[in-house]
Amino acid sequence: MSNRLAVRQTGALARRSVLDTLRLPQAWFPSIFFPLTLMAIFTGSFTETFSRVPGFPDVPSFLDFAVAGAIVQGILIGGTSAGAAFATDIEGGFFDRLVASPVSRAAILLGRLGGSVALGVGQAVLFIGIAVLFGARVEGGVAGFVLVLVLAAVFAVAVGGLGVYLALRTGSSEAVQGTFPLFFALMFFSSAFFPRETMDGWFRTIADLNPISYLVEGMRDLIIVGVEPRPTLISFGVALALAGAAVGASALAFRRRLGDG
Amino acid sequence: MIARAITVSGGLAVRNLLLVRRMPSVFLPALIMPVFILVATAGAFGGIGAIPQLEDSSYLAFTVPLATVMGGGFAGINAGMTLARDIQGGFVDRLVASPAPRVVLILGPLIAACARSLVTTTAVLAAASLGGVFPPGIVGTTVIYVMAALFAAATACWAMGVALQTRSVQSIPLMQIVVFLSVFLSVAYVPRELQTGWLRVAADLNPVTRILEASRATEFEGASWSTLGPGLAASTLLIVGLGLFALAGLRGLGRR
Amino acid sequence: MEAAVKTEGLIRRFRGGVVAVAGVDLEVPEGEVYGFLGPNGAGKSTMVRMLTTLLRPSEGVALVAGHDVVRDAGAVRRSIGVALQDASIDPFMTGRELLRLQATLHGIPRRDGHARAEALLDRVGLVDAADRRVGTYSGGMRRRLDLAMALVHRPVVLFLDEPTTGLDPVSRLTLWDEVRRLNDEGTTVFLTTQYLEEADQLADRVGIIDGGRIVAEGTPKTLKAEVGDPTLTITVASSEDRQAAFDALSGFGPSVPTREGCIAVRLPEGAAAVADVVRALDVASVEPQEIDLSMPTLDDVFVAKTGRRLEGEDAEAPVTVTES
Repeated sequence: MSNRLAVRQTGALARRSVLDTLRLPQAWFPSIFFPLTLMAIFTGSFTETFSRVPGFPDVPSFLDFAVAGAIVQGILIGGTSAGAAFATDIEGGFFDRLVASPVSRAAILLGRLGGSVALGVGQAVLFIGIAVLFGARVEGGVAGFVLVLVLAAVFAVAVGGLGVYLALRTGSSEAVQGTFPLFFALMFFSSAFFPRETMDGWFRTIADLNPISYLVEGMRDLIIVGVEPRPTLISFGVALALAGAAVGASALAFRRRLGDG
Repeated sequence: MIARAITVSGGLAVRNLLLVRRMPSVFLPALIMPVFILVATAGAFGGIGAIPQLEDSSYLAFTVPLATVMGGGFAGINAGMTLARDIQGGFVDRLVASPAPRVVLILGPLIAACARSLVTTTAVLAAASLGGVFPPGIVGTTVIYVMAALFAAATACWAMGVALQTRSVQSIPLMQIVVFLSVFLSVAYVPRELQTGWLRVAADLNPVTRILEASRATEFEGASWSTLGPGLAASTLLIVGLGLFALAGLRGLGRR
Repeated sequence: MEAAVKTEGLIRRFRGGVVAVAGVDLEVPEGEVYGFLGPNGAGKSTMVRMLTTLLRPSEGVALVAGHDVVRDAGAVRRSIGVALQDASIDPFMTGRELLRLQATLHGIPRRDGHARAEALLDRVGLVDAADRRVGTYSGGMRRRLDLAMALVHRPVVLFLDEPTTGLDPVSRLTLWDEVRRLNDEGTTVFLTTQYLEEADQLADRVGIIDGGRIVAEGTPKTLKAEVGDPTLTITVASSEDRQAAFDALSGFGPSVPTREGCIAVRLPEGAAAVADVVRALDVASVEPQEIDLSMPTLDDVFVAKTGRRLEGEDAEAPVTVTES
């Protein structure tokens, strides 16, 4: 299989993933609506108060603070949709068609993940755009903006990969959708919405251990502080580790499913 | 006629409650969610309690009403979900063809929703106690239970009204989103005085704000008519209005 | 000339000890239409999945278009077209988009791919619906699109798994015509079906599968001939005619018990002898009310080989072979 053909196939399948998602409102609406609505509610609730909370970082407005959390939340929700769509392909037989065609095995997987990346980056651009419209500022400038997008892309691979893994293991889109509340919960037990420094007790411990905390903080710092090596590298490290694990797991699950048919 | 309505309603209420036990995977989330909301919200935003305006009060206590009211909301949504499933599955046809008056279709699940809210409120109060926040005396605790139950009744009317209009389980997300928005576009995270911009306006207009504030007052200043009055008025308004909505849907049943 | 499909000792076991395919040897020469006939659960779909590289055989060898399905899967995939049981389409894309996607996936250059897509849309009669989302297509339309997608890269061997199950009679006939046309153009067709008529009408040779094994194989005609001769049944008006008819027919073959008011004999020559029968009846001045010539069906073949009916009230679920 020539590499050029494999790339072309990946592109075609990625394009299909994106089109399918955009054409089904249920697939993209939650990942836009919930994060933006929450972001708006948090901003309205905390604008007056946040500066007085001990341990809260110095930011011009709460909106600047909240964007990163919204982006990560949106990608998380989008990833579950991607997994559910993949499971639908398996249920409906489209997956079989791909397997029986001379499509590179990698392309089948990477095509779906490529779609997730495209949607995740698009989402990040949209959210930052909306925030800027309402007065937020990206302290990291253009470089910071680009880094945020790259971080979003890597995280999208991680979540998409997890969704695909679940789809391959369960073969049921309902089962994949069922994990959505779990991830929603995960976001709250992190610093996605409020700084870790203001938390205490066992809750703080969980947030300290939650990889999402570091992911959001890295993205957030690019927006509210600027391009700082340490937090940026940490969050990239976390994102890449998650992405690697997810892709590895789904590749293994893929091979297993092909062997068993 | 009335006696029969009561017995059949009771029967349906019991059935709804039994369903909870027999289909845990569907209903368990609705029982765990309120406690989760309490823990997650208070844990994540607890720092708010430390600002001067709130005089270092417990944010956990502040969050209790949010969790109990949402618990009522979930119970109401479940009533609507069950009705939608029953309509789609044909069970409702059986009831409509029976001599029981139609209003039992709504009354039964409504009673069940209120009953369920009692359970979720208890769970939330228990969880809060674990965190050091105890039920605020007999009167205050009663207010908390009542507000949650009233909200459960209101959301049950809303959700069942939607079910009767759409007669399909596809409308469940609509039931959910409206209930969530009604709670979160009010005083979910901070007191009204501290809200800014459009959110403040929304909270001012939202009846659910009064319901939350009535419950919350018991945790802080103590129950009083200045908060209880608006709370009861708002609940009544919602229940009457949404109840009419549900009854209208009931009348259309079987005619289409 | 190499066989289009060839298997030796093909076995597939599943977890739990179920043996879906229990040792199948078959050989399909190029240009043939081979029909795999059997009840639900007989192992047809499992066979097709192994031959189309979707499933790995537990034991045995399978060669499709000369390539081993395990060792040379890529080459197999380039030579086959697949239309499986649930039309494996994507409801949110349009027909045209799906065909173009399939062309891209096969590495067909863009312009050629677009041309191929148009040609196929025309061929299966979906030009008007080409820009509508496939989710809005009827069952028959989906199958046709599925078939078109299987043909994008001009496969050497076409695999059809229960192609007309659930289709209305008109769609079924349309699909049959298309299969015949494809075969005339040189495509080898391997199809599975549970419908006798489909196997009878389409297949050059039929393999009857039950419980994971081939229980009979041959052309429909020879299979049926193996089982028995056609039966001629005459309905007559009066009892005097009955006797006359009986005598007239006695020379053609042994008589067979039948319902009242009728005479029936076995007719070894089949339809060819009907003209003589009519003449003989005419000579005896018997005017039959009804003449019925019934051929043994593939169902009769199935009964002869397995003791069960394939279709109708007596059809039973097959016994799946289980390893002990």
